[in-house]
Amino acid sequence: MIEVKEEDLLRCPVCEAVNINKGKKNICRRCGSSIYKHRHFQTEKSWAFLITAMIAYIPANLYPMLITKQFGSTSGSTILGGVMLLWEHGSYPIAVIIFFASIVIPILKFIILLYLLISVKYPLGKDKRVNKHKLYYLTEIVGPWSMIDVFVVAILAALIHLANIEIIAGTAATAFALSVFFTLLAAHTFDIRLIRENR
Amino acid sequence: MKLENEEALDHLIICHKCHTLHQEIAIEDGAKACCKKCKTVLYRYDSRLAEHGLALSIAALIFFVMANFFPLVKIEILGHEQFITIPKTFLSLFDNGFYIVGIICAFMIFIFPLMIVLLNIAIFSLLKLKKGKRVSKDLLILLSRLSPWSMTEIFLVSILVALVKLIGYAQIHMGVAFWTLMVFVVIDLYLTRTIHISEIWMLRKRVFLKKDQA
Repeated sequence: MIEVKEEDLLRCPVCEAVNINKGKKNICRRCGSSIYKHRHFQTEKSWAFLITAMIAYIPANLYPMLITKQFGSTSGSTILGGVMLLWEHGSYPIAVIIFFASIVIPILKFIILLYLLISVKYPLGKDKRVNKHKLYYLTEIVGPWSMIDVFVVAILAALIHLANIEIIAGTAATAFALSVFFTLLAAHTFDIRLIRENR
Repeated sequence: MKLENEEALDHLIICHKCHTLHQEIAIEDGAKACCKKCKTVLYRYDSRLAEHGLALSIAALIFFVMANFFPLVKIEILGHEQFITIPKTFLSLFDNGFYIVGIICAFMIFIFPLMIVLLNIAIFSLLKLKKGKRVSKDLLILLSRLSPWSMTEIFLVSILVALVKLIGYAQIHMGVAFWTLMVFVVIDLYLTRTIHISEIWMLRKRVFLKKDQA
Protein backbone atom coordinates (compact mmCIF):
# COMPACT_ATOMS: atom_id res chain seq x y z
CA MET A 1 0.00 0.00 0.00
CA ILE A 2 1.25 3.45 -0.82
CA GLU A 3 -0.30 6.66 0.32
CA VAL A 4 -0.40 9.54 -2.18
CA LYS A 5 -1.93 12.94 -2.17
CA GLU A 6 -4.01 13.83 -5.19
CA GLU A 7 -1.82 16.87 -5.93
CA ASP A 8 1.21 14.60 -6.24
CA LEU A 9 -0.12 12.88 -9.32
CA LEU A 10 1.36 14.00 -12.64
CA ARG A 11 0.51 13.30 -16.23
CA CYS A 12 3.39 12.33 -18.50
CA PRO A 13 3.51 14.81 -21.41
CA VAL A 14 4.58 12.10 -23.84
CA CYS A 15 2.46 9.03 -23.14
CA GLU A 16 -0.12 10.53 -20.73
CA ALA A 17 0.37 7.91 -18.04
CA VAL A 18 -0.36 9.01 -14.48
CA ASN A 19 2.76 9.18 -12.30
CA ILE A 20 3.57 10.02 -8.71
CA ASN A 21 5.60 13.16 -8.19
CA LYS A 22 8.79 12.13 -6.43
CA GLY A 23 10.49 15.49 -6.20
CA LYS A 24 13.20 16.93 -8.36
CA LYS A 25 13.43 14.42 -11.13
CA ASN A 26 10.73 12.08 -12.34
CA ILE A 27 11.01 9.39 -14.96
CA CYS A 28 7.75 8.19 -16.45
CA ARG A 29 7.13 4.60 -15.39
CA ARG A 30 5.62 3.70 -18.78
CA CYS A 31 7.70 5.41 -21.45
CA GLY A 32 10.81 6.45 -19.53
CA SER A 33 10.82 10.11 -20.58
CA SER A 34 11.66 12.62 -17.91
CA ILE A 35 8.54 14.45 -16.82
CA TYR A 36 9.82 17.06 -14.54
CA LYS A 37 13.33 18.30 -14.45
CA HIS A 38 14.63 20.96 -12.20
CA ARG A 39 12.31 23.92 -12.29
CA HIS A 40 14.78 26.65 -13.18
CA PHE A 41 16.15 24.77 -16.14
CA GLN A 42 12.74 24.18 -17.68
CA THR A 43 11.51 27.75 -17.58
CA GLU A 44 14.81 29.11 -18.86
CA LYS A 45 14.63 26.98 -21.97
CA SER A 46 11.08 28.07 -22.59
CA TRP A 47 11.99 31.73 -21.97
CA ALA A 48 14.84 31.50 -24.45
CA PHE A 49 12.59 30.11 -27.19
CA LEU A 50 9.85 32.63 -26.46
CA ILE A 51 12.22 35.60 -26.61
CA THR A 52 13.72 34.33 -29.87
CA ALA A 53 10.22 34.02 -31.29
CA MET A 54 9.33 37.55 -30.22
CA ILE A 55 12.49 38.97 -31.76
CA ALA A 56 11.83 37.13 -35.03
CA TYR A 57 8.28 38.48 -35.06
CA ILE A 58 9.53 42.08 -35.47
CA PRO A 59 11.22 41.69 -38.89
CA ALA A 60 8.33 39.44 -39.89
CA ASN A 61 6.09 42.49 -39.72
CA LEU A 62 8.50 45.05 -41.15
CA TYR A 63 9.82 43.26 -44.22
CA PRO A 64 7.66 42.25 -47.20
CA MET A 65 6.06 38.83 -47.03
CA LEU A 66 5.25 38.59 -50.72
CA ILE A 67 7.07 40.22 -53.62
CA THR A 68 5.13 40.53 -56.86
CA LYS A 69 7.03 41.13 -60.07
CA GLN A 70 4.62 42.26 -62.73
CA PHE A 71 5.83 43.34 -66.18
CA GLY A 72 9.13 44.59 -64.84
CA SER A 73 7.79 46.44 -61.81
CA THR A 74 8.38 45.00 -58.36
CA SER A 75 6.13 45.54 -55.38
CA GLY A 76 6.24 43.95 -51.98
CA SER A 77 3.55 43.72 -49.32
CA THR A 78 3.96 43.16 -45.60
CA ILE A 79 1.60 40.99 -43.55
CA LEU A 80 -0.56 43.91 -42.46
CA GLY A 81 -0.39 45.44 -45.95
CA GLY A 82 -1.59 42.18 -47.46
CA VAL A 83 -4.51 42.02 -45.04
CA MET A 84 -5.51 45.61 -45.85
CA LEU A 85 -5.22 44.96 -49.57
CA LEU A 86 -7.49 41.94 -49.28
CA TRP A 87 -9.98 43.97 -47.24
CA GLU A 88 -10.06 46.72 -49.89
CA HIS A 89 -10.62 44.14 -52.60
CA GLY A 90 -13.64 42.90 -50.72
CA SER A 91 -12.47 39.42 -49.75
CA TYR A 92 -13.43 39.98 -46.12
CA PRO A 93 -13.39 36.32 -44.91
CA ILE A 94 -9.86 35.76 -46.21
CA ALA A 95 -8.69 39.07 -44.78
CA VAL A 96 -10.09 38.06 -41.39
CA ILE A 97 -8.50 34.58 -41.56
CA ILE A 98 -5.07 35.98 -42.41
CA PHE A 99 -5.44 38.72 -39.81
CA PHE A 100 -6.24 36.17 -37.11
CA ALA A 101 -3.65 33.63 -38.20
CA SER A 102 -0.69 35.95 -38.57
CA ILE A 103 -1.40 38.80 -36.17
CA VAL A 104 -3.92 37.90 -33.46
CA ILE A 105 -2.83 34.29 -32.79
CA PRO A 106 0.95 34.94 -32.52
CA ILE A 107 0.46 37.94 -30.23
CA LEU A 108 -2.12 36.10 -28.14
CA LYS A 109 0.30 33.20 -27.82
CA PHE A 110 3.11 35.51 -26.74
CA ILE A 111 0.89 37.06 -24.08
CA ILE A 112 -0.41 33.71 -22.77
CA LEU A 113 3.06 32.15 -22.63
CA LEU A 114 4.50 35.26 -20.96
CA TYR A 115 1.71 35.18 -18.41
CA LEU A 116 2.20 31.45 -17.75
CA LEU A 117 5.98 31.77 -17.49
CA ILE A 118 5.77 34.72 -15.13
CA SER A 119 3.09 33.01 -13.03
CA VAL A 120 5.41 30.05 -12.45
CA LYS A 121 7.82 32.22 -10.49
CA TYR A 122 5.53 34.85 -9.09
CA PRO A 123 2.15 34.28 -7.48
CA LEU A 124 0.00 35.48 -10.35
CA GLY A 125 -3.58 34.35 -10.82
CA LYS A 126 -3.69 32.35 -7.60
CA ASP A 127 -7.33 33.24 -7.12
CA LYS A 128 -8.11 30.70 -9.87
CA ARG A 129 -10.25 33.06 -11.90
CA VAL A 130 -8.47 31.73 -14.97
CA ASN A 131 -7.83 28.06 -15.51
CA LYS A 132 -4.20 28.06 -16.60
CA HIS A 133 -4.45 24.55 -17.94
CA LYS A 134 -7.18 25.68 -20.28
CA LEU A 135 -5.04 28.62 -21.41
CA TYR A 136 -2.16 26.28 -22.15
CA TYR A 137 -4.48 23.92 -24.00
CA LEU A 138 -5.68 26.87 -26.08
CA THR A 139 -2.14 27.76 -27.16
CA GLU A 140 -1.52 24.12 -28.04
CA ILE A 141 -4.60 23.89 -30.26
CA VAL A 142 -4.53 27.31 -31.87
CA GLY A 143 -0.77 27.78 -32.17
CA PRO A 144 0.03 25.85 -35.38
CA TRP A 145 -2.65 27.73 -37.32
CA SER A 146 -0.42 30.76 -37.60
CA MET A 147 1.57 28.82 -40.19
CA ILE A 148 -1.23 29.53 -42.71
CA ASP A 149 0.43 32.65 -44.07
CA VAL A 150 3.77 30.92 -44.65
CA PHE A 151 2.07 28.06 -46.49
CA VAL A 152 0.04 30.50 -48.61
CA VAL A 153 3.24 32.29 -49.62
CA ALA A 154 4.89 28.96 -50.45
CA ILE A 155 1.93 27.91 -52.62
CA LEU A 156 1.70 31.23 -54.44
CA ALA A 157 5.44 31.34 -55.03
CA ALA A 158 5.43 27.82 -56.44
CA LEU A 159 2.33 28.41 -58.54
CA ILE A 160 3.07 31.74 -60.12
CA HIS A 161 6.34 32.10 -61.87
CA LEU A 162 5.64 33.02 -65.46
CA ALA A 163 7.63 35.20 -67.81
CA ASN A 164 5.68 38.35 -67.01
CA ILE A 165 4.23 37.74 -63.60
CA GLU A 166 6.17 36.25 -60.76
CA ILE A 167 5.57 35.97 -57.04
CA ILE A 168 8.46 35.28 -54.71
CA ALA A 169 8.59 34.94 -50.97
CA GLY A 170 10.00 37.87 -49.01
CA THR A 171 12.36 38.11 -46.07
CA ALA A 172 9.42 38.21 -43.70
CA ALA A 173 8.48 34.64 -44.65
CA THR A 174 11.70 33.32 -43.10
CA ALA A 175 11.33 35.50 -40.02
CA PHE A 176 7.69 34.55 -39.59
CA ALA A 177 8.27 30.82 -40.05
CA LEU A 178 11.06 30.97 -37.47
CA SER A 179 8.88 32.95 -35.10
CA VAL A 180 6.07 30.37 -35.28
CA PHE A 181 8.56 27.52 -34.98
CA PHE A 182 10.09 28.98 -31.82
CA THR A 183 6.72 29.75 -30.19
CA LEU A 184 5.74 26.13 -30.79
CA LEU A 185 9.02 24.99 -29.24
CA ALA A 186 8.52 27.33 -26.28
CA ALA A 187 5.05 25.91 -25.71
CA HIS A 188 6.27 22.33 -25.93
CA THR A 189 9.22 22.80 -23.59
CA PHE A 190 7.01 24.55 -21.09
CA ASP A 191 6.27 21.99 -18.44
CA ILE A 192 2.56 21.99 -17.59
CA ARG A 193 3.32 20.56 -14.22
CA LEU A 194 4.87 23.89 -13.30
CA ILE A 195 1.39 25.37 -13.35
CA ARG A 196 0.25 22.63 -11.05
CA GLU A 197 3.04 23.14 -8.58
CA ASN A 198 2.49 26.84 -8.29
CA ARG A 199 -1.26 26.73 -7.82
CA MET B 1 -5.73 8.44 -1.46
CA LYS B 2 -4.46 4.88 -1.16
CA LEU B 3 -3.01 2.75 -3.92
CA GLU B 4 -1.97 -0.90 -4.04
CA ASN B 5 1.18 -0.30 -6.04
CA GLU B 6 2.45 1.78 -8.96
CA GLU B 7 0.53 -0.38 -11.43
CA ALA B 8 -2.73 0.85 -9.94
CA LEU B 9 -1.91 4.29 -11.35
CA ASP B 10 -2.98 2.95 -14.73
CA HIS B 11 -6.56 3.09 -13.53
CA LEU B 12 -6.30 6.81 -13.01
CA ILE B 13 -6.56 9.35 -15.79
CA ILE B 14 -5.91 13.10 -15.84
CA CYS B 15 -7.98 15.22 -18.23
CA HIS B 16 -5.91 16.60 -21.07
CA LYS B 17 -7.72 19.90 -21.07
CA CYS B 18 -8.34 20.89 -17.44
CA HIS B 19 -6.16 18.47 -15.44
CA THR B 20 -8.93 16.99 -13.30
CA LEU B 21 -8.17 13.57 -11.86
CA HIS B 22 -10.48 10.72 -12.79
CA GLN B 23 -10.82 7.08 -11.93
CA GLU B 24 -11.04 4.89 -14.98
CA ILE B 25 -14.13 2.69 -15.22
CA ALA B 26 -15.04 -0.12 -17.57
CA ILE B 27 -17.32 1.06 -20.36
CA GLU B 28 -19.22 -0.66 -23.14
CA ASP B 29 -17.64 -1.44 -26.48
CA GLY B 30 -17.82 1.67 -28.66
CA ALA B 31 -18.72 3.99 -25.79
CA LYS B 32 -16.69 6.94 -24.59
CA ALA B 33 -15.93 8.43 -21.19
CA CYS B 34 -15.97 12.20 -20.72
CA CYS B 35 -14.45 14.53 -18.18
CA LYS B 36 -17.06 15.49 -15.60
CA LYS B 37 -15.77 19.04 -15.41
CA CYS B 38 -15.14 20.13 -18.99
CA LYS B 39 -16.82 17.33 -21.00
CA THR B 40 -13.68 16.50 -23.00
CA VAL B 41 -13.49 12.89 -24.15
CA LEU B 42 -11.10 11.07 -21.85
CA TYR B 43 -10.99 7.67 -23.51
CA ARG B 44 -13.04 5.31 -25.65
CA TYR B 45 -13.23 1.59 -25.54
CA ASP B 46 -12.90 -0.27 -28.80
CA SER B 47 -12.34 -4.01 -28.63
CA ARG B 48 -10.97 -4.03 -32.19
CA LEU B 49 -8.78 -0.94 -31.87
CA ALA B 50 -5.70 -2.47 -33.53
CA GLU B 51 -7.71 -3.59 -36.58
CA HIS B 52 -9.50 -0.26 -36.96
CA GLY B 53 -6.29 1.69 -36.49
CA LEU B 54 -4.42 -0.44 -39.00
CA ALA B 55 -7.16 -0.16 -41.61
CA LEU B 56 -7.38 3.60 -41.23
CA SER B 57 -3.64 4.17 -41.32
CA ILE B 58 -3.19 2.04 -44.46
CA ALA B 59 -6.00 4.02 -46.12
CA ALA B 60 -4.26 7.22 -45.01
CA LEU B 61 -0.97 6.06 -46.55
CA ILE B 62 -2.63 5.32 -49.90
CA PHE B 63 -4.25 8.74 -50.01
CA PHE B 64 -1.05 10.44 -48.88
CA VAL B 65 0.99 8.85 -51.67
CA MET B 66 -1.66 9.84 -54.22
CA ALA B 67 -1.76 13.39 -52.86
CA ASN B 68 1.97 13.73 -53.44
CA PHE B 69 2.15 12.38 -56.96
CA PHE B 70 -0.77 14.10 -58.66
CA PRO B 71 -1.10 17.83 -59.36
CA LEU B 72 -2.69 19.76 -56.53
CA VAL B 73 -4.07 22.72 -58.46
CA LYS B 74 -3.69 23.93 -62.00
CA ILE B 75 -4.04 27.55 -63.00
CA GLU B 76 -4.25 29.35 -66.30
CA ILE B 77 -2.97 32.91 -66.60
CA LEU B 78 -2.82 34.68 -69.95
CA GLY B 79 -2.72 31.39 -71.78
CA HIS B 80 0.03 29.93 -69.62
CA GLU B 81 -0.69 26.80 -67.66
CA GLN B 82 0.97 26.03 -64.39
CA PHE B 83 0.41 23.28 -61.84
CA ILE B 84 1.87 22.40 -58.46
CA THR B 85 2.27 19.23 -56.46
CA ILE B 86 2.91 19.12 -52.72
CA PRO B 87 6.68 18.42 -53.03
CA LYS B 88 6.91 21.20 -55.59
CA THR B 89 5.65 23.81 -53.12
CA PHE B 90 8.57 23.41 -50.77
CA LEU B 91 11.12 22.53 -53.46
CA SER B 92 10.44 25.84 -55.19
CA LEU B 93 11.29 27.60 -51.93
CA PHE B 94 14.68 25.89 -52.06
CA ASP B 95 15.13 27.05 -55.65
CA ASN B 96 14.55 30.64 -54.59
CA GLY B 97 17.04 30.37 -51.76
CA PHE B 98 14.57 30.23 -48.87
CA TYR B 99 16.22 27.26 -47.21
CA ILE B 100 14.90 27.77 -43.68
CA VAL B 101 11.25 28.18 -44.71
CA GLY B 102 11.74 25.33 -47.18
CA ILE B 103 13.01 22.98 -44.51
CA ILE B 104 10.28 23.96 -42.05
CA CYS B 105 7.57 23.47 -44.69
CA ALA B 106 9.07 20.19 -45.93
CA PHE B 107 9.03 18.76 -42.42
CA MET B 108 5.57 20.00 -41.50
CA ILE B 109 3.68 19.04 -44.64
CA PHE B 110 5.66 16.09 -45.97
CA ILE B 111 8.19 14.34 -43.72
CA PHE B 112 6.30 14.37 -40.41
CA PRO B 113 2.89 13.38 -41.84
CA LEU B 114 4.52 10.52 -43.76
CA MET B 115 6.44 9.37 -40.68
CA ILE B 116 3.30 9.52 -38.53
CA VAL B 117 1.34 7.38 -40.98
CA LEU B 118 4.17 4.84 -41.22
CA LEU B 119 4.55 4.82 -37.42
CA ASN B 120 0.82 4.20 -37.01
CA ILE B 121 0.97 1.28 -39.44
CA ALA B 122 4.01 -0.18 -37.66
CA ILE B 123 2.53 0.21 -34.17
CA PHE B 124 -0.88 -1.23 -34.99
CA SER B 125 0.53 -4.17 -36.91
CA LEU B 126 2.96 -4.95 -34.06
CA LEU B 127 0.07 -4.90 -31.60
CA LYS B 128 -2.06 -7.01 -33.92
CA LEU B 129 0.72 -9.59 -34.25
CA LYS B 130 1.47 -9.32 -30.51
CA LYS B 131 5.18 -8.80 -31.15
CA GLY B 132 7.88 -6.26 -30.39
CA LYS B 133 7.33 -5.19 -26.80
CA ARG B 134 10.38 -2.91 -26.77
CA VAL B 135 10.03 -1.59 -30.31
CA SER B 136 6.37 -0.67 -29.93
CA LYS B 137 7.25 1.35 -26.86
CA ASP B 138 9.94 3.34 -28.71
CA LEU B 139 7.67 3.87 -31.69
CA LEU B 140 4.85 5.14 -29.47
CA ILE B 141 7.19 7.63 -27.79
CA LEU B 142 8.37 8.84 -31.20
CA LEU B 143 4.77 9.13 -32.39
CA SER B 144 3.71 11.37 -29.53
CA ARG B 145 6.81 13.53 -30.00
CA LEU B 146 6.09 14.02 -33.71
CA SER B 147 2.32 14.42 -33.77
CA PRO B 148 2.15 18.12 -32.78
CA TRP B 149 4.38 19.00 -35.73
CA SER B 150 2.26 17.59 -38.53
CA MET B 151 0.29 20.35 -40.24
CA THR B 152 -1.46 18.91 -43.28
CA GLU B 153 -4.87 20.26 -42.22
CA ILE B 154 -3.41 23.76 -41.98
CA PHE B 155 -1.82 23.31 -45.39
CA LEU B 156 -5.22 22.34 -46.83
CA VAL B 157 -6.78 25.56 -45.53
CA SER B 158 -3.77 27.50 -46.88
CA ILE B 159 -4.44 26.12 -50.38
CA LEU B 160 -7.97 27.47 -50.22
CA VAL B 161 -6.77 30.86 -48.98
CA ALA B 162 -4.15 31.05 -51.73
CA LEU B 163 -6.72 30.17 -54.38
CA VAL B 164 -9.18 32.79 -53.17
CA LYS B 165 -6.39 35.34 -53.53
CA LEU B 166 -5.97 34.27 -57.16
CA ILE B 167 -9.65 34.46 -58.11
CA GLY B 168 -10.02 37.08 -60.77
CA TYR B 169 -6.44 36.79 -61.97
CA ALA B 170 -6.42 33.22 -63.14
CA GLN B 171 -8.57 30.26 -64.02
CA ILE B 172 -8.29 27.61 -61.35
CA HIS B 173 -8.69 23.86 -61.77
CA MET B 174 -8.57 21.59 -58.74
CA GLY B 175 -6.35 18.57 -59.25
CA VAL B 176 -6.76 14.99 -58.06
CA ALA B 177 -4.27 15.55 -55.26
CA PHE B 178 -6.46 18.23 -53.70
CA TRP B 179 -9.30 15.79 -53.13
CA THR B 180 -7.02 12.98 -51.97
CA LEU B 181 -5.30 15.40 -49.59
CA MET B 182 -8.71 16.31 -48.22
CA VAL B 183 -9.54 12.63 -47.59
CA PHE B 184 -6.10 12.15 -46.04
CA VAL B 185 -6.68 15.09 -43.68
CA VAL B 186 -10.05 13.71 -42.61
CA ILE B 187 -8.57 10.26 -41.88
CA ASP B 188 -5.57 11.80 -40.16
CA LEU B 189 -7.77 13.99 -37.96
CA TYR B 190 -9.92 10.99 -37.10
CA LEU B 191 -6.82 8.97 -36.19
CA THR B 192 -5.13 11.62 -34.09
CA ARG B 193 -8.22 13.03 -32.42
CA THR B 194 -10.33 9.96 -31.69
CA ILE B 195 -7.70 7.29 -31.16
CA HIS B 196 -6.01 8.87 -28.20
CA ILE B 197 -2.35 8.02 -27.61
CA SER B 198 -3.16 6.74 -24.11
CA GLU B 199 -5.64 4.24 -25.58
CA ILE B 200 -2.86 2.72 -27.68
CA TRP B 201 -0.71 2.47 -24.55
CA MET B 202 -3.57 0.74 -22.72
CA LEU B 203 -4.04 -1.63 -25.65
CA ARG B 204 -0.31 -2.39 -25.63
CA LYS B 205 -0.46 -3.17 -21.93
CA ARG B 206 -3.43 -5.53 -22.40
CA VAL B 207 -1.82 -7.27 -25.38
CA PHE B 208 1.50 -7.99 -23.70
CA LEU B 209 -0.06 -8.79 -20.32
CA LYS B 210 -2.16 -11.50 -21.99
CA LYS B 211 0.87 -12.77 -23.87
CA ASP B 212 2.99 -12.94 -20.71
CA GLN B 213 0.29 -14.85 -18.87
CA ALA B 214 -0.18 -17.34 -21.66
